[in-house]
Amino acid sequence: MKENVSGAKAYRRFSVLHRLLHIVTMMGFIGLALTGLSLAFSSQWWAKGVSWVLGGAENTGDLHRFLAVMTYACVVVHTLWFLYYKMILKGTWSGPRSLLPRWQDLKDFFQHVRFIFGRRKTPPPFDKFTYFEKFDYWAFFIGMNTMGITGLFLWFPETVSRFLPGYFVNLAQVLHLYEAIMAVSLKFVIHTVTTHLRPGVYPLDKTIFTGLMTRERIMAEHPAQWENLAAATDVKSAPGHRPVS
Amino acid sequence: LHNTGASGGTGIARGARLALAGTFLIFALAASAAGSIAGAGPVPEKGSSWFVDTSRLAQSAHGRLLCEDCHGPMKDHRKHPLKERDLLLREAIRTYDYGLCKSCHRLSYERSLKGAHAKALREEGAAVGEKTAPKSEKKRAPVCGDCHSAHYERSGLSRLDLGRRMTEVCGSCHPAQKESYLKDFHGRAAVDLGNTDSAFCTDCHNAHMALSLKEKGQAIRVCSRCHPKASIRFTSFVIHASVQNLPEKDQGKRDAVLLIHRVKIIALIVVALILAFFFGHAFVWMLRELHEKLRRH
Repeated sequence: MKENVSGAKAYRRFSVLHRLLHIVTMMGFIGLALTGLSLAFSSQWWAKGVSWVLGGAENTGDLHRFLAVMTYACVVVHTLWFLYYKMILKGTWSGPRSLLPRWQDLKDFFQHVRFIFGRRKTPPPFDKFTYFEKFDYWAFFIGMNTMGITGLFLWFPETVSRFLPGYFVNLAQVLHLYEAIMAVSLKFVIHTVTTHLRPGVYPLDKTIFTGLMTRERIMAEHPAQWENLAAATDVKSAPGHRPVS
Repeated sequence: LHNTGASGGTGIARGARLALAGTFLIFALAASAAGSIAGAGPVPEKGSSWFVDTSRLAQSAHGRLLCEDCHGPMKDHRKHPLKERDLLLREAIRTYDYGLCKSCHRLSYERSLKGAHAKALREEGAAVGEKTAPKSEKKRAPVCGDCHSAHYERSGLSRLDLGRRMTEVCGSCHPAQKESYLKDFHGRAAVDLGNTDSAFCTDCHNAHMALSLKEKGQAIRVCSRCHPKASIRFTSFVIHASVQNLPEKDQGKRDAVLLIHRVKIIALIVVALILAFFFGHAFVWMLRELHEKLRRH
């Protein structure tokens, strides 16, 4: 049965699993930032307030470790989904509509900078995922692993000292803190601003919560993806963009 | 009037004595005023007063003792202190015979004689309990009274109050160690967030022995009280990330502190560059988006 793919009003951008993973990692990340920063900046009044509400440093630490396990579980589930997608669903990891970085992203970046500085009339014709969306994704995916490693150093310092000198725990503290400050700044400010506060989607881009993106927005913000959608004659030839309604 | 006219010499001496007494009175009033405002503050007053605030003494750990219990029979103090000006110009805590503390605090006293503070005192040419004036403000090993206030120390402080107090007391002579401790997780959890499972100064260094813990075998015994699975390598974890007062030969810790410092600087530079790039990019981008939107209106 053939279906007019390009006639739909909205398209599915994120599946249920990905929306769920985003919600859980978002909650986990906010909780990790709150508990972690209150332990790192413990002399500040707000940090003492957080500690008081949670019932002391011990509880704050326990909650931090619980949230870390919960958030990292999302990374594990996401990786398992990748394997499922490739092996069972016979999908592909690479290609223009994947999250894998490619040379086109670098070209898109330079063209986008030209647009930002007024040297170009329109933004580059982005495909399904733009370079800044890919950056947001990979920053989190890689960051969760590096934060996980330094975090394990701080969680099990005695075990670490069986293989490495004790001052590696100090180094882990330094890297854990500085990466945390970077991650919190990137996610709370850069990700929020570039995703939700742009004119056009302000005050909130609901796509990650509903999973849907309208035809008009895809045409405006992801022209290369739209070209592919419009060319598709049936649903199956346009994987990952199932039309809705 | 006829008194001042009697003789020039005695008049000046008398005036000086009156001025001295007046000064002490003012200081005593100021000290008692400050004391009543601060209550049992975390730090004993700097220096020492020759006047005792009996209302605070009554609330202290020694409040039920009699003066003579610690200071000997009154008849031994026939001379009025105003006639011993040399004595009054010295700090009270430095003139006391701390050997008398031993009769009630035998264990603490004997430990302190074996400890690092007493060793430093001996190196300065004095001993605990000896009546001695400090050689200089900078190099001055503590006697009992430098850490404990005999008149105003309260008993029954909670572990947390005691821990916060000792951070100030120890820190008054070891400021670099206090600062590095408060930056370390032990100090942040204990002092800032009130976690009494975390270590205060004396939990690792002992109070009266004042252990330096620079020797690994000594350190691991202390660490393993809370970290039973810790191995000898665990002791190179740096708690006091400062090389102040560190012996030249302790190259291992010097290298570790330097490495931590360098990694911190590199991390700071990398994070600053990344954030500067992304904040700059996002800021100009949002200006462009706003401009594009307003232009269409």
